[in-house]
Amino acid sequence: MVLAFVTLLIVSAFIFWTTEVLPGDIAARVLGRESTQEARAAFRESRGLNRPALERYVSWLAGAVRGDFGSSLVNDRPISDVVLPRMNNTITLAIYAFAIYVPLTFLLSILAALYHDRLPDTIVSVFNLIGLSMPEFVIGTLLIYVFSVSLGIFPVMAQIQRAKTFSDVIRNTTLPAMTLAIVMAVYSIRMLRDSLIEVLDSEYVRMCVLKGLPRTRIILFHALPNAIVPALNTMALNLAYLIGGVVVVEQVFAFQGLGTLLVDSVAVRDSPTIEAVALIVSAIYIAANLFADVMAITLNPRLRRG
Amino acid sequence: MSTPASVATLPWPKKAILNWSRLPFTLRFGTIILSFYLLIALTASLWAPYDAAKTGTGRPFSSPSSDHLLGTDQLGRDIFSRVVLGADDVLFLALTSTLVSTIVGGVMGLMSGLLGGWIDQIIMRFFDAVISIPFLVLALLMIAAAGPDLSGNYWLLILAVVVVYAPRTARMARAVAVDLVTRDFVTVARARGESVLSIVWRELTPNAIGVLLVEFGVRAGYAPIFIGSLSFLGFGVRPPTPEWGLMISENRAAIISAPMSVLAPAAALAVLVIGLNLLTDGLSRVFGRTNKI
Repeated sequence: MVLAFVTLLIVSAFIFWTTEVLPGDIAARVLGRESTQEARAAFRESRGLNRPALERYVSWLAGAVRGDFGSSLVNDRPISDVVLPRMNNTITLAIYAFAIYVPLTFLLSILAALYHDRLPDTIVSVFNLIGLSMPEFVIGTLLIYVFSVSLGIFPVMAQIQRAKTFSDVIRNTTLPAMTLAIVMAVYSIRMLRDSLIEVLDSEYVRMCVLKGLPRTRIILFHALPNAIVPALNTMALNLAYLIGGVVVVEQVFAFQGLGTLLVDSVAVRDSPTIEAVALIVSAIYIAANLFADVMAITLNPRLRRG
Repeated sequence: MSTPASVATLPWPKKAILNWSRLPFTLRFGTIILSFYLLIALTASLWAPYDAAKTGTGRPFSSPSSDHLLGTDQLGRDIFSRVVLGADDVLFLALTSTLVSTIVGGVMGLMSGLLGGWIDQIIMRFFDAVISIPFLVLALLMIAAAGPDLSGNYWLLILAVVVVYAPRTARMARAVAVDLVTRDFVTVARARGESVLSIVWRELTPNAIGVLLVEFGVRAGYAPIFIGSLSFLGFGVRPPTPEWGLMISENRAAIISAPMSVLAPAAALAVLVIGLNLLTDGLSRVFGRTNKI
């Protein structure tokens, strides 16, 4: 826990340092290259950019802890007003993606493990290899091609900000959520499949078979709980991936989330917004990793001493 | 052919390297794919039918024909030429950035493990912090920091990849080094009064080379996707460079009228990544390790 906070502190310093201290003049970036010296000086004065970097960092961090990230350089709106709705959208997307991802992983890896080295396993493996070698934006584009253009089920653009009813939200988030779920599933299906095969080969599973237990019961109650431990760790790490990986997927579907906000702010070089989004995303990422560690320890008592 | 060995001491498998037919299938297949890409990257400028940036070589979005093997994109540029001419940019960016990060990360990690104490603690704390920024966010931070004048600069992209990859490689290398420094040969080298760099280079690197090579492969396999993603977001290479990620991004809206404009670069990228992953899988088999992603 303490370690996570120390890490977060270093992260915040790193983020602040890269965006504010390292490169040239922020005033010149915002006002354009043709701005006069006086205008730049006035801008710096109004933004408090003349103060020493350390002082600015401390006041920025103090604000950030209270949820006040200052105001955007581009439109002067308070950043928390812009970030919060985006964060809600991204979290909705993440939850939905996880809801697709978990059953997908279980279903396909059980299928592959049961028919180990036979046709279903081969099919799953081939799809896995293809998925592993394709970037998110290609998978997303192909899904748009199939579901939006050819079948016309889902909209091309995921306009969650206009969605009013729950079914609207679902309709608009399904494709990006599917993309994320596929990218995550690719990593964990293989893992869960391998450990399932190992467990299914063990003596206590053979014992269950000999006892005459039904197949589904053996798999769900005897094999799965033991095979799941290494895979659960991957799942929790995937949660961490999800937080960063949304950047590309959101861009593909023009989804109004944290990722697109970050991309847009980088494009216009709105450093306070960049800092805010990067810090929030990193904090969630660290929390997810911490969660993964705690999960692993809870599920495997052997790790508790250490 | 895979000699069982502990993580720390991975002997250089001289015999296995010499005998092509005894190498793992994945290594051979991966090498073939990668050689094919290298060949295209080096020679494409000699035989590509059109210039990569030349617009209006045919009607925009024309379908594949004998003039345009894969059709043309929205500006009438020849897709086939752009895909093959893009190979050198993609390979150069992916391999250089991974190589630099493996060297930087490897040396930092080995040194940190060798020195130990508070230097080690500081370096590793810092790297842990950098690792806990999601890699695309970190890369975007670097690009934002560099300012608009440098956007699309190849060395900036390479730097962004290095900042993302090197800490991860360093952590790996440090784990190896921590295990190695307790060995007698390091103690002897220290007693002999060898300098830190000399111990890293002469005693640690030869023993860690297997781990580092596999690490290089794993990272290299992801680098084209990573750089492609940056281009896709509009922060990678600049148009009209025929980088595959950028091409997919440019032609995405046209996937209905000219599917080849998206599918061709996507396939080129996917096969390259498969090749690199196979190569890594083979390498890790040769070095007697299971592949870890």
